[in-house]
Amino acid sequence: MFLAIKEILHNKTRYLLVVFTVFLISYMVFFLTSLAVGLARENRTAVDQWDAKTVVVSSYANKSMVVSTIPQKQYQQYTDDKNVAEVGQMTVVSQLKNSSEKINTNVFGVDWKSYISPKLTAGRLPKTNHEVVVDDALKNDSIKLNSQIKINGSDKYYKVVGITKNNSFFAVPVIFSNMDTFRELKYGSSQIKNISALVIRNNKKINKSGLTQITIKDLVNHIPGYTAQVLVFSFMIIAMVIITFLIIGIFMYIITIQKISLYGVMRAQGIRTARIIESLFYQILVLTATGAGLALVFMGVTQFFLPKTVPFYSDWLAYGVLTLAIIVMALLGGSLSMRRVLKIDPLSAIEGE
Amino acid sequence: MNLVEMINVNRQYGSGRTLVEALHPTNFSLNSGEFIGIYGPSGSGKTTFLTILGLLQSPTQGKIFVNGRDMTKMTSREKTDLRFNKFGFVLQASNLIPFLTVKEQFKVVDKFTTSRRRKMNQNELLNLLDLQDVAHNYPSSLSGGERQRAAIARALYNNPDIILADEPTASLDSSRAEQVVQFLANIAHESQKGVIMITHDTRLLAATDHVYEMRDGFLRQQN
Repeated sequence: MFLAIKEILHNKTRYLLVVFTVFLISYMVFFLTSLAVGLARENRTAVDQWDAKTVVVSSYANKSMVVSTIPQKQYQQYTDDKNVAEVGQMTVVSQLKNSSEKINTNVFGVDWKSYISPKLTAGRLPKTNHEVVVDDALKNDSIKLNSQIKINGSDKYYKVVGITKNNSFFAVPVIFSNMDTFRELKYGSSQIKNISALVIRNNKKINKSGLTQITIKDLVNHIPGYTAQVLVFSFMIIAMVIITFLIIGIFMYIITIQKISLYGVMRAQGIRTARIIESLFYQILVLTATGAGLALVFMGVTQFFLPKTVPFYSDWLAYGVLTLAIIVMALLGGSLSMRRVLKIDPLSAIEGE
Repeated sequence: MNLVEMINVNRQYGSGRTLVEALHPTNFSLNSGEFIGIYGPSGSGKTTFLTILGLLQSPTQGKIFVNGRDMTKMTSREKTDLRFNKFGFVLQASNLIPFLTVKEQFKVVDKFTTSRRRKMNQNELLNLLDLQDVAHNYPSSLSGGERQRAAIARALYNNPDIILADEPTASLDSSRAEQVVQFLANIAHESQKGVIMITHDTRLLAATDHVYEMRDGFLRQQN
């Protein structure tokens, strides 16, 4: 430890470069992760809020809730079960009164008494067909409590009476309405008693022709584009972590080669190879931990400077795991140099090779 | 007391037509309290001899006993520890660690020592070698002479039984060189250590107890 720290302090510039490199890579890894998690969350938080186990959609929908429609005769036998909730989903365009801005949103039709009814952070649940609850992300578009909004060019206005949070689906925020309003919007009449899906929170199995029961995971993976997005980000992040291995490996290898004659002197003096290797890995640990630590601090600061509309989510658990991965990769990179250190001949110190 | 004994030790490099006998079969012993000087032209095998004696390389044939232990039977780790605890090297190229101050060079010894033997007093050593003013300097900011003296201080610090000095006066002026040699002689005589000094400057051999000449791989005692 003593040798490792002393050397770092004596050759500040050289080792600062290593720290800076690790910092840049880690920062990029964390940033990509935040975007990936942020975007993934925007696709699925409304689904996560259900805290359910499975979902039943129509068989033709290919596991996609967006295209699923279930007619009344196929689902009505399940509606008495408290663990089964009906949901209607529709992708819509909303517009604030006296504004020309069109905002992409979802409408989720729910029964206010069911367990998937949104959890409010402000306001109250609607009492009429013309009242809705909206996700607080819509405040970025000036939609807040008591706002009047049009949905899909309706001639009526809907009044926002309640606010909920973390309800986003398919990368756009959710507006909750009752089933009648949803049916009017999607099917043109509240008399057409279709729904999009049944949401089940216990282990109930539904086996009926025309219906397919899928897990929540399956449902999320079949949100159009979701899997592709997650894969692209994952590969980028994994590639960056592997690059850490190479960059630190090469960096430390070059530094090690520059120090061969010094190591020769140390070996001649009778310092064990194990001490030298210990020092090498301790240096890598200190340097990468410092670099990644700095990146974490910068991440914490970054989120305050990003526009609210950027899908950015600080996932500290993921940062922690990735920090560990980066450190492990850097230590593995050190093993590239280990062979050289093991082969050091103390004679080189004397012969000045 | 016999510190090191070499019996029929030789060192060959290469094989067949390219065979070089860097050191012909040699018998040699070093006792405590003895100061031995070795001189000879460069390439004569002085350094080969010193590195074999210092356990830095193995002989092709022959046996070496350190304190009565056969080193040819030791593992490389045992040799490393022996080097650390029993030998002090003063090398031609300075044996100082560049990122440590003179005082910190001693600290390395404190940290890594595997023996409990008493070390030399740091301040006494620094005074003796006139290094007290540069104790907190890094090797790069020392003059050639100061660096050489610091290397000697470092070699002496873990109180080794055997001191091997390869051209310890190479970068010193003649009065300073004489002081260093006298100092090595005092260490040998007063602290009962075995000191071997390689030099090309025959004037410095006056202070030694025995003189050997190395020529073409043959070591011959002169007095």
